[in-house]
Amino acid sequence: MKHCVRITSKDNVATLLIDLRKGDVMTLENGEALQAREDIPYGHKIALEAISKGMPIIKYNETIGVAQEDIYTGDWVHIHNCAPIRGGERE
Amino acid sequence: MAGLATNPNVYGVVIVSMEPMSAQKLADRITPSRRPVVCFDYDTCGGPINVVQQASRAAMYMVAEASGQSREEIPLSALVLGVECGGSDTTSGVIGNPVIGLVSDLVVEHGGTVILSETVEWMGAEEKLAARCEKKETVARIYRSVQFYEDYVRRIGQDLRGSNPTPDNIKGGLSTIEEKALGSVKKGGTKAIRDLIGYAEKPACSGLVLMDAPAAGVENMTGLAAGGCQMILFSTGKGNPIGNPIVPTVKITGNPRTIENAAETIDVDLSSVITKDLSLEQARDLLVDFAARCANGRLCAAEILETVDISISRIGYTV
Repeated sequence: MKHCVRITSKDNVATLLIDLRKGDVMTLENGEALQAREDIPYGHKIALEAISKGMPIIKYNETIGVAQEDIYTGDWVHIHNCAPIRGGERE
Repeated sequence: MAGLATNPNVYGVVIVSMEPMSAQKLADRITPSRRPVVCFDYDTCGGPINVVQQASRAAMYMVAEASGQSREEIPLSALVLGVECGGSDTTSGVIGNPVIGLVSDLVVEHGGTVILSETVEWMGAEEKLAARCEKKETVARIYRSVQFYEDYVRRIGQDLRGSNPTPDNIKGGLSTIEEKALGSVKKGGTKAIRDLIGYAEKPACSGLVLMDAPAAGVENMTGLAAGGCQMILFSTGKGNPIGNPIVPTVKITGNPRTIENAAETIDVDLSSVITKDLSLEQARDLLVDFAARCANGRLCAAEILETVDISISRIGYTV
């Protein structure tokens, strides 16, 4: 069973198909290993590379949000550190 | 309501109303479709108990006539397919919606029609959709339709972040409306977008058509049914049992945990894409096979469990 899905090669996050605990090491589709820096639930996103505050979070080769803080490889990427650009008060 | 009454799946219509003229007004919009339609109202029948008794009798005879009809083979080009998602999680954008997209492409290639709706879920995916529009005016209407919802939310002092993605979408791993939208529009496949129609309107052309309709499942499926869809393919992540009473609603999921928890609400289990090595194309074939059986009379889960509902969207006050 696959551990995660990276939808396009441009994506800087992957979707987990397993639950990860902090320190767990999983295998990416290309065979490389990636260690989780925190607990990440099944179905949620893990950072595949460092993403600086203000930089886009990329999935489907599209921007799905903006990093609200510096994100490190293996971090959980979700509403606490990834904000939408659309649908809110800003703009 | 006239759209629902003239859906190809509907044999005949029994209208029950308090007022005779309102009933007749609706009947007049159904009659040109040459299906049986009868009206019962409180005034003429003499109160609600008589209305129920007379309308039930008429409906019973209509059911008897309808059940005497035999099935005829029709080409795929006569199909109007609605695509929908609900209870989305991250498997929806990775498995369920892309598989429905493959079926959408197949239907369009055979000359059929596919309706993709849920305007709010185009937010962040407008450019992708705009690039596929045949007509310039459709591009403008896409941006205008999404803008309407974005402005509306702002005007009433709300933030879409409180409602879309929903708290359960978020629990399922979806972080932003853009992420949900980019997964959601995959249901429409990859073909050219030929037109954008209003809520509950029937498409005037074949191929892939957008409908400006609210994202909430029951309201949206009511619009698809009124727009003439004979079948709806519905992708779910966490599980969502809802269907439409006049349009068979085929439920699929790619989430193995949903199969464990709520298998009875799912018609086509695509979790093997995660747990084994089922490809998306093989998953499409499983879905097409089930949809064909469903078109031939096999009941889908929502029909058997009667988890079906209708809700007509209205934004604004009644005057």
